[in-house]
Amino acid sequence: MAKSSAFMASHWFFALRGSITRPPTPDGDEGPQTEPSLREIINIKLIESGEKEKLMELLRQRLIECGWRDDMKSLCRAYARKKGRNNVTVDDLIHVITPKGRASVPDSVKAELLQRIKSFLMSASLW
Amino acid sequence: MSTSNDGSLTPRSQHASNCFDDLLDSIIADVASECHRIARLGLDRSLEAEEEELRLSQLSDSTRGAAGGEGSSKHGVDIFGQSHPAVASDIFECMNCGRPIVAGRFAPHLEKCMGKGRNARAKATRSTTVTRSRHSRGSPVSVYAPYSTSAQRAPNGTAGGVSEDPSDYNIEEQ
Repeated sequence: MAKSSAFMASHWFFALRGSITRPPTPDGDEGPQTEPSLREIINIKLIESGEKEKLMELLRQRLIECGWRDDMKSLCRAYARKKGRNNVTVDDLIHVITPKGRASVPDSVKAELLQRIKSFLMSASLW
Repeated sequence: MSTSNDGSLTPRSQHASNCFDDLLDSIIADVASECHRIARLGLDRSLEAEEEELRLSQLSDSTRGAAGGEGSSKHGVDIFGQSHPAVASDIFECMNCGRPIVAGRFAPHLEKCMGKGRNARAKATRSTTVTRSRHSRGSPVSVYAPYSTSAQRAPNGTAGGVSEDPSDYNIEEQ
């Protein structure tokens, strides 16, 4: 009985191995994809340098200061009240907030952030 | 409102604008996620309809001991799910006069028992101290003023209890 269980175990093991013996993902080959677009390069540089994090913090803070965040939260509350508190999903709320949110960012905040982004791009010689 | 989408936007500025939109989308997702959490966890009191709370507390009233969510205990349910009657019904002894009193009626009883401020009998509070000291066996309390009415409450037959100022006591008995 010990023999047969060992056989079963090894059989199962080989069955598992079958799934990990496929050819490795080609890494040098980018396939049908073109080289990363400029947009992606910018994104990568932003993240790698830590600038994206700083910009995010700055934007978050400015939006809190100007009351934008509270406005969005009250929109969410009103929607949740209407829909029933247990029926809301995150996607729902995102779709509720996004149009109004994008439109109601104060111009000064937007200008400040754009200025920072542009100066970063210039310093990273991506401009 | 915003003037970023005018026709003279260069492709390079477009990149900056896209970055900004990305950041904004992330922040919007943050806000939505937080509001979703607050809504689902019931942390926002204004989201609960008044009727819902009322219904819950009525439910707790009808089914005795059912915990009614965040229902207030004045509807009769506490955090252990026990409900209490509005008036306390325990009986205990009044420490002043020694009578068995229903707890819910203790306050009015005390008022009469210890003498209210308004409908006072002629006693002052000092004489109450005297009375109590005479009741308690041999407690060494210095007697302040031997008011005449105080002795009337003390029964004559308190053997061994009266150790203070027997002269006063004797005078009153006459």
